[in-house]
Amino acid sequence: MVYTKKSPALLMIGLIMLAIWYTADAGMLSGYIEHLGGKKYKYLSELTTIPLYFGIVAAAFGLWQLFGSHKQGSFDYYSSTLAGGMFILLIAMLVRWFVAPEVAVVSMMMGKVGDTGKYIHKLLGLNYVVMGIVMGIIIVNVFKVPHWAENGVRLSRLGLKTGVILLGTLYSAAELKNLGGLSIVMIGFFVLGSVGMVLWLGAQRKIPNSMGGVLSAGMGVCGVSATVAAAPVVQAKSVEIAYTIGTILLWGVGCMFLFPVVGNLLGMSYVQFGAWAGTGILNSAQVAGAALAFQPDGIETLKVAEIFNITRVLILPIIVIWLAVWYVKREGEGAEKVNVGKVIFDKFPLFVLGFILMFALSSTGIFAPANHYKGKYFGNTAEQGFKDKKLLKAEQIAVIQAESGKIQREDRKAAVDRLIQNGKIMSIADDDAIRGLVNAKVVSKDANKILKGAHKAVRHTAKKVKKFRQWITWLFAFGLVGLGMQITVGSMKQAGGQPAVIGGIVGLIKAVLSLVVVMMLVAETI
Amino acid sequence: MSEEQKFDKGSALSIFGSDRKEDLMALVFSLAIAFAIYITY
Repeated sequence: MVYTKKSPALLMIGLIMLAIWYTADAGMLSGYIEHLGGKKYKYLSELTTIPLYFGIVAAAFGLWQLFGSHKQGSFDYYSSTLAGGMFILLIAMLVRWFVAPEVAVVSMMMGKVGDTGKYIHKLLGLNYVVMGIVMGIIIVNVFKVPHWAENGVRLSRLGLKTGVILLGTLYSAAELKNLGGLSIVMIGFFVLGSVGMVLWLGAQRKIPNSMGGVLSAGMGVCGVSATVAAAPVVQAKSVEIAYTIGTILLWGVGCMFLFPVVGNLLGMSYVQFGAWAGTGILNSAQVAGAALAFQPDGIETLKVAEIFNITRVLILPIIVIWLAVWYVKREGEGAEKVNVGKVIFDKFPLFVLGFILMFALSSTGIFAPANHYKGKYFGNTAEQGFKDKKLLKAEQIAVIQAESGKIQREDRKAAVDRLIQNGKIMSIADDDAIRGLVNAKVVSKDANKILKGAHKAVRHTAKKVKKFRQWITWLFAFGLVGLGMQITVGSMKQAGGQPAVIGGIVGLIKAVLSLVVVMMLVAETI
Repeated sequence: MSEEQKFDKGSALSIFGSDRKEDLMALVFSLAIAFAIYITY
């Protein structure tokens, strides 16, 4: 069968992208951009580059798809995904650049909501991530995905997995150390707790062991991939796998929209929300969706959530072994022998190892100095990016000198002395001490401003890390719009009776308990 | 095996025949992007 459709769709998508680029680049959109926020509008640099590159690719392949000859084979199969892939990308572009900013403008015109002090779009998390997913759900359930785009929609999971692997480049050893310990404790408790609870509830409600086993893996570990991995060891039937996936989807999609609203209402920090989403939401894709919905223009929340999610996936082998032993005990002679080691080897999600590989590569310092923290690194020499014009002026040094008597702590005092002597911060430890001093508001506003400037002068954003952030943002935006196109009413109906009830009870307990634990134990920053 | 089955790879969720293949492709893409960023910036 030849999969490539002789449709003008891809060519037209390419031309629309080029038109967006041209109108933005030529300044024809300046009036509209002014309406969307003027100087506050953040996407102008994206508008004048991204649609040009992708527009050229889409238009060129569109011409070839329309007028070229196509033979069946792998090349035809894989290249036929381009039209759908570009369709998703175009929707992501329109939502990110125009629809979401327009909704924000309308929301701000309506004023803040009651005592919350927040606009309705902030409160409901109506940003490009949520709107992109909703757009996908509307397209598939109301209009149906166009025939020529069907193959490309199946690329969304690839986009999400590529994004997760690339995310590994953004962590520094210090961040991973801080987050890793926290995530192991929380995930260990909640994964083992929810697996145990599903198995217990399953026994109480007398569902088959195979159903309880596969549902416990799905509810406890990481959704669909855990379900698939656990299915052979508990000899789950296709219909039980379908029930489990339906339950996870139903619960996960609800959480993806609800979690950010609760997070906003409770005023959670990025770290707190990331920890909660990574623990309380079942499926990897929906964890990413909720994290980006909470913080659409940055990836700090996503980074925290993904560390929790990846910790969860790393526990998968333990759960598979547990379920294998549990199933044989429950079923006795009736259980078929399964090679547990082979199941783990065959089903373990390889992309998690890709993430670890990227982190290892990043730790060597090839993308940013190894001591970077959240993409910023310390450097006080010209080779490291320090500019001599940033050296403190004599009058600035005089202001700090006049106030140095107010500083009590010895480490801060010593750091400020070295700053006065050299005109710049001399080490990471000094930088940390000075940042602490600024946050403590010990000195006057003017002196604080100078200290902040000295701190900024020695902290540099790694260019490569910046580019990685852009790629990751777009890969997730692409993946999540595509994910929306896979959420059909039919797939949710698969949840069935008992599995949906058990899943609902365990999911709710997990979401509420993890929220309580996060609010009580997780600090606002790391 | 009919011609249609031969090229009908993957599932409703993925164009790839297995999760392992999809993971491998994600790894290849991410390494390619990382390499491009490494040599360009």
